[in-house]
Amino acid sequence: MYKRRKPYDLSYTHFVGSWAWLLHRLSGLALIFYLCLHVWVIHTLTLGPESFNRLMAFLTSPLFRILEAGLWGVILYHAFNGVRVIVVDFFGGSLSHKKLFLVLIAVAFLLWAAGSAVIIGHIH
Amino acid sequence: MKESIIVKILRYQPEKDQKPHWQTYRLDVPADSTILDILNEIHWNHDGTLAYRRSCRSAICGSCAMKVNGQNVLACETPMHKFRGNRLKIEPLPGFPIIKDLVVDMDGFFDKLQRVKPYMVVDKPIPDKEFLQSPEEFSRIRESAYCILCGACTSSCPSLWANENYLGPAALLKAYRFIFDSRDDGTDERLDIINDRNGLWRCHTIFNCMEACPKHIDITGCISRLKNRVVDNSL
Repeated sequence: MYKRRKPYDLSYTHFVGSWAWLLHRLSGLALIFYLCLHVWVIHTLTLGPESFNRLMAFLTSPLFRILEAGLWGVILYHAFNGVRVIVVDFFGGSLSHKKLFLVLIAVAFLLWAAGSAVIIGHIH
Repeated sequence: MKESIIVKILRYQPEKDQKPHWQTYRLDVPADSTILDILNEIHWNHDGTLAYRRSCRSAICGSCAMKVNGQNVLACETPMHKFRGNRLKIEPLPGFPIIKDLVVDMDGFFDKLQRVKPYMVVDKPIPDKEFLQSPEEFSRIRESAYCILCGACTSSCPSLWANENYLGPAALLKAYRFIFDSRDDGTDERLDIINDRNGLWRCHTIFNCMEACPKHIDITGCISRLKNRVVDNSL
């Protein structure tokens, strides 16, 4: 008997559901990473106003504004797909999960575009 | 009309192979062949050493589930034209140990099924004649009773790939079939079994099971209704 040890079968076809789940996991990891970074940035307050201001000047650079727009997208995806999962699990949405994904992601995309325009607008 | 196709099959022969390897076959087969027709053609006319399970060839016995071009299907009901191009890549069901070639070990799958008590548990006196239920009561379990236990769903589930202790969609569906049966009295017992980190709550609504199910059962919907039942009971 041959026991295959693959934690994830990458060659298995991805459908809407598995893409949604995979991206949900990845966006969750990205949010945990952001949270750690955020706590670290806040901690510089304890080192005095100068070090905090120096860091903030760095974090408001154009590169970080673009990353911020990315973060906004990650938050929106995680939140809206989270709503989809709740609807599927507790409001009987299993048969319409693909349509639900399409609609929620479309709304998330519009919010992302609007929010990103504001964020990018802050680049001087 | 015949068509030329290239079929790659993941072979594993325990008496000589350390691990599985791909073997390629070039064949001319009728254009309306199913995956099972192709395997039969190979087995009967090209390479008698190829091992695979088959029986009814009518999508009822559930023997011939396998992974074809990246998704779990029943070989007997799947025409080769479901897949574009003239190349097929056939593998045993993922997540299960391979006994030989396309034959996988289903013992773990059936052990999990046994755990949810896949039979009627009745405390009340059984009627002399028919054990009736209304059409409405039956309609709640009709779809879940269509399961042919082919394993395509459980084997397609990423939660199972990551954790072999997960009960899997087929066992949970079987639990649903009896928990929502109006005649059954084993609900609390079964809910206790499936209300577990390796049971109900390891379903992350990935929907691979529903994509794979040859009977098109709303498996995720049934699992969700079980989740609701557990939550309702604990409130």
